[in-house]
Amino acid sequence: MNAAQHAEDAHGAAEHAEDAHGAAEHAAGGHGAGEFDAGEVIIEHISNSPLDHPILHLPPVAGIDFSVTKHVMMLWLVAGFLFLIITLGTRRFLAQERPIPAGFMNALEAVVQFVRDSIVLPNVGAKWVNTWTPMLLTLFVFILTANAVGLVPVFEVFGLLDRFVLHTSEESLLNSVLHGGATTTANYNVTAALATITFFAIIVAGSMAHGFVTHWKNLVPHGLAWPVYILLIPIEVMGLFVKPFALTMRLAANMSGGHLAILSILSLVFIFHEQFGSQLLGMGVGALVSVPLAVGISALEIIVILVQAYVFTLLTSVFIGMAINVHH
Amino acid sequence: MESLYIAGVAIGLGLIVIGAGLGIGRFTAAAAESIARQPSAAAQITGAVQLPLFLLEGVAILAEVFVLLIGGRILGG
Repeated sequence: MNAAQHAEDAHGAAEHAEDAHGAAEHAAGGHGAGEFDAGEVIIEHISNSPLDHPILHLPPVAGIDFSVTKHVMMLWLVAGFLFLIITLGTRRFLAQERPIPAGFMNALEAVVQFVRDSIVLPNVGAKWVNTWTPMLLTLFVFILTANAVGLVPVFEVFGLLDRFVLHTSEESLLNSVLHGGATTTANYNVTAALATITFFAIIVAGSMAHGFVTHWKNLVPHGLAWPVYILLIPIEVMGLFVKPFALTMRLAANMSGGHLAILSILSLVFIFHEQFGSQLLGMGVGALVSVPLAVGISALEIIVILVQAYVFTLLTSVFIGMAINVHH
Repeated sequence: MESLYIAGVAIGLGLIVIGAGLGIGRFTAAAAESIARQPSAAAQITGAVQLPLFLLEGVAILAEVFVLLIGGRILGG
């Protein structure tokens, strides 16, 4: 009950996470000195670092705080990793005497061909496919990797190693880095930025295909009686903003939803242990209920990360296609 | 009073899940039926079903987010 109530409490979470920062971290490892509060632990895991505890303090520039929080760190890690691996792979491939893909390039080619032939081409059309494939491919690969990195528990493993073997201090840089490993795409700000790219891509696509003024005229069908326009123009203008808004919410909610479910189910172990005061019962619930269910949901999450990367790219290309191929 | 708010959030979430489940179920049933009738058109049918399916899913998720946010705002004070 408490878990569900607090997990839903997204707004209060930021305040809770701040004062409960220290306590929640210990409770997460199952070594809580005080009472176990599932809501605070879960929110601490899926939300961004609190503003006064970032991973790396940076001086504010023009009043904007540029401190590196864990989502920012993962964002740059994913972007850097993709940039390196894809540019290096492609450069080495292009430098070959006989351009035959091998190993990693095979996988990359399959992804590129999939995005071009089954996402972009049917929606955008043959004329503009080469203009928009690079952007949509970047979106697809970035979202897929950012989603997938959140499922890999590498930072948590390092965190356990640190707690039981290395024993670095609470304030050290290493310790704060180990609290990274979050899904950046579960942060509404990140997905809003991605959807902003979509928003402008739609306008640019329409303007490139029809000219800037005609693109805006194309939003509504031509040749209707004028009272219809009074109704239609506000709806279309609203639709302009609803599209990226829905993209934002869909990706972020899907990505945080899976993590919420996994963590809630795993919290049952500690809740049962505390409610009934028996360690054996907690372990039994963990072995028989929590871990099998969490494994199942993790398997479902693998499908979800693929589908959500696909959906974001597909919908973006559908919107771009709607701006280019106007049917009136 | 707080328990009423929690009940409201829970009932709202349940209604959303019922609606989304009905919608997605009907989509999938229709798609499966038409693929069974015309297996050769499977790729086209899947393509046609996908987009409205994702839009439906998007609406359901939007509703869920709003329910959670409103519930959180009330509970958080």
